[in-house]
Amino acid sequence: MPELEQELIALGRQLDWPATPAIGARVRSRITAPVVRHALWYQSRWAMAAAALLIALTALAVYTPTREAIAGWVNVHVFFQRVRVLPSPSPLPSGPIGQRLGLGQPTTLAQAQSQLAWTITLPSTLGRPDEVYLQLPPTGAAQGEVTLVYTKRPGIPVASQTGVAVLVTEARGKTNTDFFGKMLGSDATIEAVTVAGHQGYWVAGSPHVFIFLDANGNFRDETMRLATNTLILDEGGTIVRIEGNLTKEQAVAIATSLG
Amino acid sequence: MEGRPEEDSDLFTRAQRGNTAAYEEIVHRYQQVAFRTAYMITGSAAEAEEAAQDGFVKAFRALDRFRSGANPRPWLLRIVANEARNRVRSAQRRQGLELRLVEGFRPGDAAPSPETAAVAKEDSARLLRLVNGLSDEDRLVVTSRYFLELSSEETAAALGIPEGTVKSRLSRALARLKATYGEASRA
Repeated sequence: MPELEQELIALGRQLDWPATPAIGARVRSRITAPVVRHALWYQSRWAMAAAALLIALTALAVYTPTREAIAGWVNVHVFFQRVRVLPSPSPLPSGPIGQRLGLGQPTTLAQAQSQLAWTITLPSTLGRPDEVYLQLPPTGAAQGEVTLVYTKRPGIPVASQTGVAVLVTEARGKTNTDFFGKMLGSDATIEAVTVAGHQGYWVAGSPHVFIFLDANGNFRDETMRLATNTLILDEGGTIVRIEGNLTKEQAVAIATSLG
Repeated sequence: MEGRPEEDSDLFTRAQRGNTAAYEEIVHRYQQVAFRTAYMITGSAAEAEEAAQDGFVKAFRALDRFRSGANPRPWLLRIVANEARNRVRSAQRRQGLELRLVEGFRPGDAAPSPETAAVAKEDSARLLRLVNGLSDEDRLVVTSRYFLELSSEETAAALGIPEGTVKSRLSRALARLKATYGEASRA
């Protein structure tokens, strides 16, 4: 190598570069954190542009073909993120299911109903719930959310993600509020469904990340967890979320029995 | 971790499968060259840090487009350098970058006599002044190739120009340096 080039290389090794910042941990936290802020930003634009459509859809990497499908549905109060790599939620704490999954305070159906301005709907095929939880604002959705727990039911295996057979979560809120967030990896499928005239969607395949949102629309990261197959539908303004190790047919049958 | 450090290709394979710890290790390995490349482009350590961080985040999201077995350096540098240029564009100005020698600079490995060291230091300081005085275009090629010790391919990726342009600019810049450095030495 010519002398001048050697001198330049020697010179480069003696330069006073600014200290290289350690950015590995920050990059890692950015690539694992759900970008909910972005979701809400998209949501507000979307909502304005589409006359208060209640769905925000955002993607960290790419919009998927599901965008158009999801955009056509209204009133499901859910924002979606399609992500290439799902974040790994922290292991669930031990304890009662309400505590483990951040479902709120244990209560009874009657007590829960007395604190809500809307009517809890019950899926008759599952019988009476084994446990009932209530979450009110500010930690819960704007008009509260109820979770019905069905620990074991014939023909429905207990889901490893929740430790119970079926979880039914219901919430009702004002226009333009979201209750749930879902982050779907590339393997999760999502399709539109209609159950007894009500719109909804079915998320299946690999587990997805499920996030509760509080009354202000902020996600509660302590409740971020993996969820199994889920049917979400708008039952006359009440958003019902049915989660379990269910087939689509089983989920639709449960949803059809809501009343 | 004990034993041999994991190969880059293995780290990339694991990162492509979503292993964020593997990606953090990739960032750790490449953050210095990425940061310095961004620093050369932006002229600001703070902007370079942001550009490097954003670049690595974008690269992670584009990992599925990284060809397995390929050399990751040009690919990563291209993404980080793009971020750095975007920052310069959005700020609509670039901070003047003037590279400096470290304090107590002493060329060569062997301890020279104080007189030799003083002369060598003077030569190096003069050469550095000449590099700093090159046009942006030429200076970036020279600093990338020799100060950052990037290959032609990496320089082309970082500067967003064809490899042939790297070579022609380098040849032009070296000729200028040689002429002025030679003249200065003879003076």
